[in-house]
Amino acid sequence: IGCEDGSVKIFQVVPGGIQFERNLDRRKGRVLCLSWHPSDTHIVAGSIDFFRVIDVTSGQTVQRVMVNHHVEKAKRECVVWAIALLSSGTVVSADSFGRVQFWDWEQGTLAESHTVSTSAVLSLAVSQKEDSMIVGTSTGATYHLQLLPVRLGGLEKRWVRTKPFQFHSHDVRAVAHSPTALISGGLDAQLVIRPLMEKVQKKSYDAALRKFTFPHRRLVSCARKARLLLFQFSQYLELWRLGSTEETGKDGEVLPLCRMPEHLVQLKSKGPEHIYCSSISPCGTWLGYSTASRFQLYRVRCDGDSVSLRKVPKVPKLLPPAYQLQFSANSESLFVASARGSVHVFQLLEPGGCKHLHTLRPPSGCSEAVYLLAPSADGHWLAAVSGDWAIHIYNLKSFKHHCVVPNYDCAVSALAIHPSTNNLVIAYSDQQLFEFSIPERQYTSWSRAVQSRGLHRAWLERDSPITHITFNPKNPSHILLHDTYLLCVLDKSLPLPDDSALLMNQSTLKQLPETARKRQLHAFKICKKFQPLLFMDLLDKNCLVVVERPIMDFKTQLPLPVQQKKFGT
Amino acid sequence: ISDQKPLGCWSVKHGQILTCPVVCNFETHEYIGVHDDKVLRIWKNEDLNLDKAFKATLSAEVYRIHSLPQGGALVLFRGGGVRTLDVLLEAPQQEIESLLSAEAIRWSGAFMEGQEPVLIFTTEKNKDFFVYVQKPKLNSLHKYKLEQQKPARPLCFTAHITNQTVTLLCLYSNNSVYQVLIPLQQDTEEEEEKEEEILSKSLLLKLSVSGAALKGTSLVVLDKDHVAVLGSLPDPGKKPKECLTIWNTKFQTLQTSKELPLGTSGQLWCYEEKFFLIHGKVLTVIMYKCETSSLAAAVGKLKDSQTLDVSSFVNWNTLEDEELLVSFQSQESVALKAESRMNLRSNRSTGQSGTLSVGQLLLRLKDASNYVLETELKKLMAKAPTPDLQATIGCVVTALTDRCKRNPKFYPQNLLQEIVETRDLSYSLCPDLMAVALEQKDLQLLQICLERFPDIPEEITYACLKAFLSISEDHLKSVDVNLDSAICYVDIECNDMEVKTEILENGFSEEMDQDMCDTKIPKENQRDGESCPVGLQKAALLNAVLHSAYTETFLLPHLKNLPAQQAILFLRYLYYLYVKCSEKVNTTLPGIRSPTINQIMDWMCLLLDAQFTVMVMLPEAKDLLSNLHKFVRAQVRFYSELNKIEGSLRELQRLNHLRESQTYSIEVLEII
Repeated sequence: IGCEDGSVKIFQVVPGGIQFERNLDRRKGRVLCLSWHPSDTHIVAGSIDFFRVIDVTSGQTVQRVMVNHHVEKAKRECVVWAIALLSSGTVVSADSFGRVQFWDWEQGTLAESHTVSTSAVLSLAVSQKEDSMIVGTSTGATYHLQLLPVRLGGLEKRWVRTKPFQFHSHDVRAVAHSPTALISGGLDAQLVIRPLMEKVQKKSYDAALRKFTFPHRRLVSCARKARLLLFQFSQYLELWRLGSTEETGKDGEVLPLCRMPEHLVQLKSKGPEHIYCSSISPCGTWLGYSTASRFQLYRVRCDGDSVSLRKVPKVPKLLPPAYQLQFSANSESLFVASARGSVHVFQLLEPGGCKHLHTLRPPSGCSEAVYLLAPSADGHWLAAVSGDWAIHIYNLKSFKHHCVVPNYDCAVSALAIHPSTNNLVIAYSDQQLFEFSIPERQYTSWSRAVQSRGLHRAWLERDSPITHITFNPKNPSHILLHDTYLLCVLDKSLPLPDDSALLMNQSTLKQLPETARKRQLHAFKICKKFQPLLFMDLLDKNCLVVVERPIMDFKTQLPLPVQQKKFGT
Repeated sequence: ISDQKPLGCWSVKHGQILTCPVVCNFETHEYIGVHDDKVLRIWKNEDLNLDKAFKATLSAEVYRIHSLPQGGALVLFRGGGVRTLDVLLEAPQQEIESLLSAEAIRWSGAFMEGQEPVLIFTTEKNKDFFVYVQKPKLNSLHKYKLEQQKPARPLCFTAHITNQTVTLLCLYSNNSVYQVLIPLQQDTEEEEEKEEEILSKSLLLKLSVSGAALKGTSLVVLDKDHVAVLGSLPDPGKKPKECLTIWNTKFQTLQTSKELPLGTSGQLWCYEEKFFLIHGKVLTVIMYKCETSSLAAAVGKLKDSQTLDVSSFVNWNTLEDEELLVSFQSQESVALKAESRMNLRSNRSTGQSGTLSVGQLLLRLKDASNYVLETELKKLMAKAPTPDLQATIGCVVTALTDRCKRNPKFYPQNLLQEIVETRDLSYSLCPDLMAVALEQKDLQLLQICLERFPDIPEEITYACLKAFLSISEDHLKSVDVNLDSAICYVDIECNDMEVKTEILENGFSEEMDQDMCDTKIPKENQRDGESCPVGLQKAALLNAVLHSAYTETFLLPHLKNLPAQQAILFLRYLYYLYVKCSEKVNTTLPGIRSPTINQIMDWMCLLLDAQFTVMVMLPEAKDLLSNLHKFVRAQVRFYSELNKIEGSLRELQRLNHLRESQTYSIEVLEII
C-alpha cells in the first residue's frame, strides 16, 4: 500500500484479513500508484514528478527517475497516475500530461514516449504476456497499445498505439486487460468489456461489446402489504409510500392518481461508510441495513401522516456484518447472510426487540460469504447462495440443512421460492433458468424440459443478468423476472419458443385478433417498456411496481468531464 | 536521461592519455579502450579500477576500435591493418602490416554485411582522398580514389550498406553533400592487379537555408530520405549560429532545424532515433522521428472523397525508361532492341508468357488503322485488371495522344473515351490527353477526365473552364455530354429560347462589351437566381469543373485571366446554384455528381477574389453582386435565427427531461 506520506507498507494476506509486515523506504512525495515486478523482487511507486523503484528485500529505493524532465512547461507538476513494472525491467508510466512512457529503470533512461491524449492518463493495465496494454484517460477515451514488430517478421519490436475507444463520458478510473478483452470502468458508472477481435475466433456473442451500468444487486426493497419502497443509496436510505388510483383503463393509458406518492423518511447512515445492504419487512414495520462495520435495525411506525423510526436496541453484534438482509414473509424473523456460508436467524419481537435464534451453516463448511437469500412464503425453507455458487437449502422448522442444489458452474444472479409449490427458481448469470423442487430434492420436470430443449438464443445472448424473481399468487404457473432492460412473465403452461420464433412478440400479438393469438403464444412474455430497470416486484395480483433509473438522471449529477473544444462550437 | 549522474566512471593514470574512443562490446558487456596508442584495456562494469583491468600492449598504434552487434570488435591500426579483437588477443605482439604510405586516416566505419564484418575507412594524402574497403574475415582489401572537387575538400564522412552496396556520404567544404556508391565486390584474383579505381560522386544535397549556406561540420544518415547535418549559419555582424538540421534528400528540402546557441563541439552522434551532441557544456539528447516522405501529404488538397476510391497500385517498373523510349521514338531498331531486353523482365514480373509486351503492342499500334487499333485495345482492356495493366494502358494512351499531336486528323474519340471511362487513369499517367482533348474541343472526354482524374493541374482545370464558358449554347445542343449532374435541378421551362439568347449574347459576345457598359441591363438578369443562366449541357460541364480537385493558390492566378463577361456568367451560374441549394433543408442539390454547397461556395469566393476589381467596375455585375450580397446576408440572418431556435428547443428539452425524471405514474400494462 502506497501512502500519502510517501511510505510504502507491505501487508501479508492471512486467512481472515491482512497483517502489517513492514515499512519500505519512505521518501517525500505522495505515492499514487504501485506495481510489483512479476518476480516480486522490486516495487515501482509513482509519485508527483517522479517514480522510484524499491528493492523489496532490502526495502531501499534503488532508483529515482524524474518524469517531467523533457517537458518545457515543467512548472506544472506531472502526476504519475498509473505505473507498471514489466518482467523485462521496463517501467511503464502514465501521467497527467497524457503521456505513456517506457523507461529502463536500471539506467534511468527514457526508451519511448507516447503522448496518447491531451488530458491526463489515469489508469493502465498490461496483459499477462506483456505485449499489449490499455490506458484510460480523463476524457473518457481508452487507448490500446501493442508491442508490434517494426517490420513484418522482424525482431525489433516497438510499442504502438493501435486503437482508440470512446466508451465513457467521464474519467476512466480503472482498466483491466484479460487475455481476450479490454475492460474499463469510468466515473460515469459504466463498466465496458470490449473483446479483442483478433483473439475471438468467430463473430459471435462473445465478440460483442458489453456495457454495464448498474450493479447486479438489489438496491430497492418492497414492503408488499404496506406498499412501501425502500431505496438504498450509498450513504442513506429513503422510504416512500406508493401512490394509488381508483380508475382502470386500457393498455398504455396513464391513470389519474387519487393519492400521490409520499416520501416518508430519509435515514442517513452515520460515518463515512457506504451502506452495503438494506431490507424492509413485507408488513413495512421493520427496516434494517448494514455497512461494512455495523448492522442496524429500525422499527417503522406510520400513524396516519406521521412516520416515526425507532432504533431497535440491543441488536446482537455481528462480526463481520451482513452481506444480505431478508425478512421472512410473515415479518417475524430476519435472515442475515454472513461470512463463511453462515446465515443468522433473528427473531423479531414486539414491540421492538430482536433475538438471535440460530445460525445456519453448510455441513461441509464454506469459505465464502452468503450473498443471496430466499425464504419460502410458508416459513418452512430458506435457500442461501454463497460466493462459491453453492445453493444450500435449510429447513427453518428444525434449523437443519435440507439439501444442496446440484452444482452448476456459474454465478447465481437471482433466486426465489414459489409460494405454493415450494419450487426454487434459480437464474444464473449465463441466463440459464432452473426450477428445483425443494420437497423432492430434484429438478422439476419443467426444468428438465427447458434444459433438454434449450432456451431461445435471443434470451441467452442478453447482456444483463436477471436480478429479481417473483411470483404471481393468482396464477401459479407465472414466474416474473427482470433484468436491466426487460421484465418478463414466464408462463410455464405455454410452450417454449424455438430459435425461429420471435422472442419479443408482445407488440406482434397486440396487433393480432384474439383468435389468431393462440398459435403465436409462447412462454416468454417480455415487456421492454421500462428501461433501464432497477427493480420490479408484484404488489398484489394485478399490481406491479417498477423502478426506472434514467441514466441521464445520475449523469447530470456527475462532475463535468474534461471539456473538449469541438470545432465550430 | 533523468538523473544526470554517471552510471560508471573510470580513469587512466596520470600521464596516460586515452587515444581512441572507448567502445562497448555488446555481447560480452565489456568496455574496450586504448591508451598511449598501443595499450589495450578491457574491463567490465564491476571493475572499479582501470589500472587493474586486463591489459595488452600491441605492436602498432591503434586508430579506432569498432564494436559490431554479433560481429565482435574490430581494431583498425594507423597503418591501415585490421584485426578482429579475438585474433589480436591471441597474440597481442603479432606483426601488423602497414598498408598506408604517408596517408592519414580521416574516418572509419564498420558494418555487418550478412555474417561478415566490413570496415571502411578514408585516408588523405596531399589533398587526395582514398577509400578503403576491408573484409577482415576474408582478408580482402580494396582501395579507391575519390574524385576530386577542387577547391572543396571533404570534411565529414558517413556510410551505410544496402544491397551489397556501400553508400558513402561526404560533407564537403563547399556546403554540399555528395554521394558515392561503392559496390561490395566478391574477390577475384585479377582485381588485385588492377589499378586503383576512381570513384565518381554525385551531388545529393546543397545545404542552403533561405539563401545562406550552412557550414556543416557533421553529418549522419537517418533513413533513406533523411540526413541530419550539424553546422553553423552565418549571421551578419554576429557570431555564426550553430544549428542541427534535418534534410529531406528526396525533395531537397530542409525538414526542421534546431538552434544551438551555446555552441557545439561540431560532433554529432545518432543511435536508436536519438541525437547525441555536446551543447555548451552538457551532452544533449534529442529524440527525432522521420516519417515517410511524400509529396501528396505536403502539398495540395486531397480529392473529394466521393471519387477517391483508387484500389490498385501501379507497378512503376513496367514504365521504365525503355518503355517510354519505345512509345516516343519511332525507330524500330531501337525499339526492338529495348523491347527484347524488356520482354524478359516483363515476362518475369507478370509471369504470363505468350501475351504481348507493352513494347510489342505499342509498335503494332503505332501506325495501325482505327479499326485495328480498336480491336487490339479492346483485347487489352478485356484482360483481368492487374496493376501493371493500368500502367500499360497509360503508356498506350500516351502513345495515342502523341500520334494525335503529330497527325491532327487522327483522333480516336470513342476509343479514348472508353479507356478513360473504364480505367482508373490519372492525369499524370497520360499528361497530354487533356491538352489534346482541349485542342480537339472534345467536351465529352474533358467532362469525363474532370470527373475521374484526381490530379489535374490547375492550369488545365482553368483551360477547361474557359473553354466551357466560351462555347456557344447552340453548339452545345449537338454535343452529347452526361447531363446527370444538372438535369435534376435546372428548370427546363425557364430555359426558353428568349431568355437564353439574351444571356448568351451577354455572356460572351465580345462586340457587346462596349455597348453594354452604359446601356440597360436585360430585364431577365434582374431575376438572377430564378432562371438558370446557362443551358443544361453547359451546366453539366461546369459542374464537372466544380468537382475537380484544386489548390486555391495555384488556381487563383489563372482565374484572374478569365475574361470579365465569362466571369460574370460563371458567377451568375454559381449564384443560381447557391440559391437552388438553399431551397432545400439539407442544402444539397439532387442528382448524381451534382456540386455540393461547399464546392459552390469555395468557387464563388475564389472567383470573387480573383475578379473583384473587375466586377466592381462592370455595371452589369453591379446588380448581380448586390443581389448576391443581399441573399447571403439573408441566409446568415436566417441561420442565426435558426441557431437561436435550436438553443431554445434544447433548453426546453432539458427542462422537459428534468420534469420527466421525477415523474411517478400509474399506467396500464397488458401482457398477453
